[in-house]
Amino acid sequence: MIGRRGTEGNYAYAVARVKAKKSKLLKVEDFDKMLNMSTAEISRYISEAGYNKEMTDLAATLSGIDLLEYATNANMAKAFRSILLASQGNLRTLVQSYLEKWDFWNLKVILRGKSYGLAAEYIRQDLVIAGKLDAEALDKLISIDSTEDILTNFAKMMGMNGQELLDVYKSKNSFGPVEDYCDIQHYRRLLKSINPNDRPSQNFQKYVRTEIDVRNLETILKLKVVGVYGEAVAPYLIPGGRYIDKKTAMQLAGAETIEGASSDIAQLEFYEAIKDVFEAEDMKVRDVVLAMKKYEMAQANKLSHQYPLSAVPVIDYMIHKEIEVSNIRTVARGIESGLSKEKVKDLLVI
Amino acid sequence: MVDEGTGLIAIGAGLAVGLAGLGSGMAEKDIGAAAVGAITEDLSLFGKAMIFVVLPETIVIFGLVVAILGIFVMGS
Repeated sequence: MIGRRGTEGNYAYAVARVKAKKSKLLKVEDFDKMLNMSTAEISRYISEAGYNKEMTDLAATLSGIDLLEYATNANMAKAFRSILLASQGNLRTLVQSYLEKWDFWNLKVILRGKSYGLAAEYIRQDLVIAGKLDAEALDKLISIDSTEDILTNFAKMMGMNGQELLDVYKSKNSFGPVEDYCDIQHYRRLLKSINPNDRPSQNFQKYVRTEIDVRNLETILKLKVVGVYGEAVAPYLIPGGRYIDKKTAMQLAGAETIEGASSDIAQLEFYEAIKDVFEAEDMKVRDVVLAMKKYEMAQANKLSHQYPLSAVPVIDYMIHKEIEVSNIRTVARGIESGLSKEKVKDLLVI
Repeated sequence: MVDEGTGLIAIGAGLAVGLAGLGSGMAEKDIGAAAVGAITEDLSLFGKAMIFVVLPETIVIFGLVVAILGIFVMGS
């Protein structure tokens, strides 16, 4: 029994670590304080809240909002990598699969950066080196000139079907389909890596499938705003949702407008979480997306308490960390662009 | 020459302490791992973590009490 548990993963150790890390994340009060600060003051404030090393390291080359963005990026990548290094067995496999999200993110950054002709050091600053590919592997990708070669090498490094990725790119000779393909592949690979034979994995699978539901509904709503509906939505949908299966998704996508789909949306299991913003007179998709993000966080929180010795608390921390970084940036960017405090606060996921 | 009853009491006492020790070891395994994890992130948690780590030791005390009862009460 002891040997078997060894391969299951060191849940107790990793979960205690992430819980301790989570308790140190910025609270609502911190963001309230930050709303009254200038960018320089925010930089100083977050330096004292755990971002000190990255701020100091990058201060020589960057300043202002750029320093803040890159330092938070680097800090997040470091935090995720430290969790990955602390995980063992099955837990490590699950965390690594979840972190592959950043490999796909990095591919998008490299492709976009190179298409805009950015220098390698600028592309490098936007990378979040938290996934399977380390800095060396990503540097190799940055040094490649042709898009086809980048895609082939990336697929090889990730153990993916390179020809399929190339075909997706060549189908329209643009990055859009590649990015959609990457999102779908990430969730497909993640679901495949979960072996739902035990409770921890079942819980993790439940969470991932909820995340897919949120992504799909977000996609359907956003596409409706730009006038895309019906069958045209299908290629953007991620298979494997918990409450929104393919049939439900196509039903939701079928209506021409958001109002037309409202009765179907009202039938969704998590409608309660978005009800207030969805039924508001001046309903904005942005508000619905924020409400869904909050629902996603609440689900991760709930599942992590239901079964603490699973991968969900680890993922729960990662989500909260990602949200913290995004909130810091929103506050800094909002203040920099002269938005009112109330407006910036509305944009935060807290 | 020790009689059969005393021998069985000795075996019982040994099992009481041994199995209780095994049980508390299994309990302490995860608590210890969690404690080390928490301390890695925040050294100020050392005191609290230490208390939780040694809590399962009480199981051994129960085993020890049963063993003492066995030897000194039943054995006498």
